[in-house]
Amino acid sequence: MKVLIVEDERSMALEMEAFLKKAFYICDLAYSAKQANELLDNNPYNFILLDLGLPDKDGLVVLKEAKLKCPDASYIILTARGDLEDRIKGLDLGADDYLPKPFSLLELQSRMAAISRRKSGLAGSLVQLGDFSIDLSQRLVFFEKTSIELSKKEFDLLSYLLLHKNRPLTRLQLSEHIWGNFSDDDYDSNYIDVHIKNIRKKLAVHAPADWLQTIRGIGYKIKS
Amino acid sequence: MKLLNKLTLYHTLSKTVIVILFTALLPLLVKEIASRYTNTALQEQKNKVLQTIEKNGIDYYFQGDSSYGSYTMLKEEYISLDAAPAGFPADTIETTQRIVEKDTLTYRVLSHVFEYNHKKYLLEIGKTLAAIDQYNAPLQRVALYALAGLILATLLIDLFFTRLLLRPLGIIIRTKLLNRKFPFKESHPPVNTSTTDFRYLDDSIIDLMNKITAAFDKEREFTSNASHELMTPISILQNKMENLMDSMPQEDEQEKITGMMQTLNRLKKIVRSLLLISRIENNQFGRQDNVAVFDLVKEVREELEDRIEAGHISIEINVSRSFTLYSVNRDLLFQLLYNLINNAIRYNKKSGSISISDEYKAGEPYVLTIEDTGIGIEKADLPFIFDRFKKAGSTSPEGFGIGLSIVKSIAQYHGIDLKLVSEKGLGTTCSVIFPAQMTTMLPPLPA
Repeated sequence: MKVLIVEDERSMALEMEAFLKKAFYICDLAYSAKQANELLDNNPYNFILLDLGLPDKDGLVVLKEAKLKCPDASYIILTARGDLEDRIKGLDLGADDYLPKPFSLLELQSRMAAISRRKSGLAGSLVQLGDFSIDLSQRLVFFEKTSIELSKKEFDLLSYLLLHKNRPLTRLQLSEHIWGNFSDDDYDSNYIDVHIKNIRKKLAVHAPADWLQTIRGIGYKIKS
Repeated sequence: MKLLNKLTLYHTLSKTVIVILFTALLPLLVKEIASRYTNTALQEQKNKVLQTIEKNGIDYYFQGDSSYGSYTMLKEEYISLDAAPAGFPADTIETTQRIVEKDTLTYRVLSHVFEYNHKKYLLEIGKTLAAIDQYNAPLQRVALYALAGLILATLLIDLFFTRLLLRPLGIIIRTKLLNRKFPFKESHPPVNTSTTDFRYLDDSIIDLMNKITAAFDKEREFTSNASHELMTPISILQNKMENLMDSMPQEDEQEKITGMMQTLNRLKKIVRSLLLISRIENNQFGRQDNVAVFDLVKEVREELEDRIEAGHISIEINVSRSFTLYSVNRDLLFQLLYNLINNAIRYNKKSGSISISDEYKAGEPYVLTIEDTGIGIEKADLPFIFDRFKKAGSTSPEGFGIGLSIVKSIAQYHGIDLKLVSEKGLGTTCSVIFPAQMTTMLPPLPA
């Protein structure tokens, strides 16, 4: 997967690059619209992460131009301006998603994975976790042939942990993923515990789910 | 009352007064004119008689007699010439009665005493009052008709002209003032008028609106820039911490980073909330949604379902299924209800209850009430509960203030009234009072 990161804040672009590299994305960086255009002329990309606040050109114009050069790529708009109209215009211009800054890199990766799943249209790509298998596109969890009923939020939590397996996720990161802007810091962290408890209870009926670990003082992780 | 109606009323009233005064004065006027005219006519006749006597001698009349008298066929006028009684006043005109051939008639009589050949004669010329006044009534009638016609004509002209004159004012009110919602997106061209007052009014309104729009645009730009300047460093920090977490395998180090993330998150939430409030106050949200209240409440409830379950709270919803609010912002209303219901859950007792109900009478505000059996609010804190950063009591956990100040600015933005009644230890009732105009669909804007 090739990603073009168009972001004028260098340190921000570098953090994104460092994180996505670990998830096996190959990244190119552009710090201006001009650089982005040059890169787009010569390279194909799967993902284009576009900051709207570029110094040399309006981000929405850059989006329009990039769409012509690289129509098959998936576009995610990143912006710290928070203008509501930007979001609507961006999605109207064919962006696949919109992430207001500050966002979590985990969330960014999760959105990219969701777009890939949606675009590939491949159903039934099962992920094995101990004795369980998880179908991310159908949003189903199986034990052998038995389907296990998880609530929407429970499944969201489980798949988020699964996407970032072997990495401890803080309660904060989890609650931000589940509740987004409505997340309510410490108060919501308790509900994460409630949800995890419920997930464990539902799984434990069938088999031990010791791959879902509690990390004291931090949060949870899926170990595989 | 509209200016046009006032002016029309004024015109009609002033003209009615003229008609009444004229009608009252007309008989007196006509009588006076008739009387003056008669006096002059009598004087002229007298002069004629005197001239004839001077020219032809008095015998021209007397024909040998010692007196002369003559009257018209219907006794309307008479003339008499006689020797003057001693001491008779020289010249008079008076209304008096005369007997002519046994008929007693009232005459206007001119009496003139003159000397002829050293003898004094009395000349009397009379005209009956009936003859004098015979044209009064028809004259009055004609005058009245003419007046009424003229008044009606001027009234119509006034009305037409006033309408024509006030048309630009009507256009200014319709296009520039009525039903205008901020921000002014549509711009109307200057009104076409030759009246300087309206020109001045229109120009001033356009100028003011442009100034307001410019000020708001500036503020919008400022929030946008402030948002960028504040969010970018937070964003960089957050991402750096996330990467740092990955590169630190030790759990105690990870725990420290988690603590830093939490602190940063607090900062992020406050900045985000403040920016949201300033965006609401800067009118950056549209109000074009029509929202079914029941669906919205249900959606909020679903979003909060896990909290309701975790707190073992029973929730009762008695909201009309068909009620729709017009011209609102759905996302903001969702947030308003979310924050209020979330508070009702958060500050509830274990196994407490929440009741959401509504009340509506046509033409009156729509009221949505959220009642909880929670910890309640101290009386002393109630007036400040919606104030930014002011925490109610020392016992309340973090984040109490900003959520409610978001509620407050969303409410203000929509013209919603919030009423909070609370009893410490028993619970809180929050009434969300939607303005009456939100309960009906807005008429389309006039062209």
